[in-house]
Amino acid sequence: MVKTRLIPTLQLKNWGLVKSRQFAHWRPIGPPVVAGRVYNSRGVDELIALDIDAPRQERTPNVPLLRDLADECFMPFTAGGGVSSPEDVDALLRAGADKVAINTGILTHPERVQRCSREFGAQCVVASIDARRVDGGYEVHVRAGTEPTGLDPAAHARHAVELGAGEILLTSMDHDGMMDGYDVELIALVAQAVDVPVIACGGAGTPEHFVAAVRAGADAVSAASIFHFTRHTPDDVKRHMREAGLDVRL
Amino acid sequence: MIAVVDYGMGNVRSVERALHALRAEAVITGDPDVLRSAERIVLPGVGAFGVAMERLHGLGLVPVLDELVLERRVPTLGVCLGMQLVCTESFEHGDHRGLGWIPASVRRLEPGEQNLRVPHVGWNDVTARPGASLFEGAGVFYFVHSFYVDPEDDADVAATCRYGVEFAAALECGNVVATQFHPEKSQRDGLALLERFISWQPALAASPA
Amino acid sequence: MPSVRYCSRCLMPETKPDLSFDAEGVCDACRSAEHKNVIDWAARREELREILDRYARKDKTNYDCIIPVSGGKDSTYQVIEVLEMGYRPLTVTWSACSYTDIGRHNIESMQKLGVDHIQFTPNPRVYRAMFAEAFKRVGDGCWPCHVGIFSYPVRVAVNYKVPLIIYGENPQLEYGGPASASANNVIDRSWLEEFGGLLGNRIDDMLGVEGITEADLIPYRYPSDEELRAVGVSAIFLGYYVKWDARAQLKKVMDSGFRVNDSVADVGTEPHQEGTYTNYENLDGKFVGVHDYLKFLKFGFGRATDHASIDIRNERISRDEAIALVRTYEGKVPRRYLEEYLEFVGMTEDEFYETLDAFTNKAIFVTDENGRLVRDDNGEVVKKVWPDGEGAVAEGERLAAPYR
Repeated sequence: MVKTRLIPTLQLKNWGLVKSRQFAHWRPIGPPVVAGRVYNSRGVDELIALDIDAPRQERTPNVPLLRDLADECFMPFTAGGGVSSPEDVDALLRAGADKVAINTGILTHPERVQRCSREFGAQCVVASIDARRVDGGYEVHVRAGTEPTGLDPAAHARHAVELGAGEILLTSMDHDGMMDGYDVELIALVAQAVDVPVIACGGAGTPEHFVAAVRAGADAVSAASIFHFTRHTPDDVKRHMREAGLDVRL
Repeated sequence: MIAVVDYGMGNVRSVERALHALRAEAVITGDPDVLRSAERIVLPGVGAFGVAMERLHGLGLVPVLDELVLERRVPTLGVCLGMQLVCTESFEHGDHRGLGWIPASVRRLEPGEQNLRVPHVGWNDVTARPGASLFEGAGVFYFVHSFYVDPEDDADVAATCRYGVEFAAALECGNVVATQFHPEKSQRDGLALLERFISWQPALAASPA
Repeated sequence: MPSVRYCSRCLMPETKPDLSFDAEGVCDACRSAEHKNVIDWAARREELREILDRYARKDKTNYDCIIPVSGGKDSTYQVIEVLEMGYRPLTVTWSACSYTDIGRHNIESMQKLGVDHIQFTPNPRVYRAMFAEAFKRVGDGCWPCHVGIFSYPVRVAVNYKVPLIIYGENPQLEYGGPASASANNVIDRSWLEEFGGLLGNRIDDMLGVEGITEADLIPYRYPSDEELRAVGVSAIFLGYYVKWDARAQLKKVMDSGFRVNDSVADVGTEPHQEGTYTNYENLDGKFVGVHDYLKFLKFGFGRATDHASIDIRNERISRDEAIALVRTYEGKVPRRYLEEYLEFVGMTEDEFYETLDAFTNKAIFVTDENGRLVRDDNGEVVKKVWPDGEGAVAEGERLAAPYR
């Protein structure tokens, strides 16, 4: 059967890679190519790279840098950040990406998202949803987490799938970079609402956290801080997941 | 020289990168004259069957490919949609004719009783049939597809995978091999398979349709 | 994509990780330098004395502190300072992979200051295998060296039960180090992650490379949190307590026998190290030129910019003079020891350039329409924007070394 995927996420900002905490306080990590090579040599299942400056600067993603990263990946590579048109998607696919993540664009240009899905296939379009806790539930934010939308993540995810997204990348803003565990409630909420695979992101700090995320309904788990700031490697984590009874690729 | 066929659909760059990493001479081309001088061919593909066949016909590539594959018997690898294109027909969004190099039909993956998510996306176990040229036992490869291939002759199945039902993960018939998964995206196992393709000498007793 | 911005005072580009500009376009390194002039250094030195007193051995049966040394001017200066204050350090060296004559001399000269010294040389076969793999994987052959330089002194601290480690400059320029806290702040695993320069790679990732086994990695492993807590290992950065001035320190260490590179002279009239106009930095190893060149390819600046920026901050040269120096010396392919390097990593020159190109940040160098790097007549890559806002040096415009 299809295995549970472990997908590290890279954030591009200011010419290099950074790691955020709760969508703020960015710490530099180093050149993107280095991270790409290290992850590729570790045999991770996929890689996600997001240009987090693009939505704030209202520009298209940094294609040269993303192409450099794609060149290092002999596994599926998802690129995103500031994507809002089929032209953006085409540029990234030509640069070597297999999938493209769209976040703010789902809200601002829904008809374009539909076109992207029709032209390139639903499996190419990943709906990236960032959410934080509010009274009584969760609220979706766009523009790299700076703009609240008043939307509920489950409803927004359903809407994205209707527009043609083939996967959901769900990030908890509260737990981002905190390494204190995924937001399992948020994961369950969205996983139950849609039929497409859900990739959970935000909060992984120990191998056990990944297991909890999958049990809450995630089809794939993504992380960043744990691999930059602790001694855990992706293989470490997968071994733990396998021992917990999950089917992973080792 | 290995020609990676460019008809505007498919991650040609990833395939080229993988072949270069294996130190093979690979060229991305949609030019019939360049194709004619190829010693091996890779036919990639991502997207819809009908659109792909239209493009191949429109660019005048079908006669050249037929010549290379059926007459000159050049070793050929079809990947993902490319595997589906080598078949006789597909039922994706209608009824389409394929290249017909391997007698087979392309059908939709069904969620079935287990209510599986379609498309089939992710890493899955692949078991090779004995004698399959490009495989060494089992492996784990990356899949992303909503349709699967149903060959007329079971002998043409080179490897299988299970997603609800068991389906053909790879085909082999004469000088044509094809994989439903993406070897250029399957790291260790995928690169090993591509390496075997690079030096593969097909047994030419059996011939494609 | 916007073009690279530079500090309005020194020459640091925004591509440097951890660097930020304020509203006037001045970088935080320059602001820290300004700040250096208003710090009460006497008070800081008192703080330093308090800390050293706290950790010093009253019964004199063990060392007061550990100083990691390389033979370079910075660490030699640290030893002089600690000795002058009356304390007894144990100096620890993780051997460079390819010592120059000057490098060897400077280690001896440091020993003659009057200290006990441990020099550890890792298994050269294991080291070479990791060096070659690290060059390909993270674009830094010196990676195993960074790990060793950082981990080994901590291992010595644990094994000799000497809790205080004294480092030199603080890369973050924020604080003095965990030992400066009144509560004993043990340097645990996260300290390694923060300051150890692991580049995302882990020692475990090297298992299996050219047959490397667990046992081969013994000297590279950072002590466990339990071991660190048992001894109470902690650290301070001397640069927080003592005003750091590279040239002044150079004079001090030279007075006690430190030698600079006075034999190499190819461009201009003054001998200089590869990639810079100075002759007193990174003298110990032959491969530092390649290391620095990779930094240039990844971030768009190398040590010529580092040194020029320091000299600007210390008011020894003007910004225009600095730019002229940088444009002459920076970012040139390090040919001096290139053949030796290729032999060491087991690569052809073509493979070497392929690897370099992969690590080059294509957003800051000129590329053609296929995204491939463009090289000038001298075989050098071309930066898009220099600190004076102009493009690359025009053909034939190579300056002689003007620095006095």
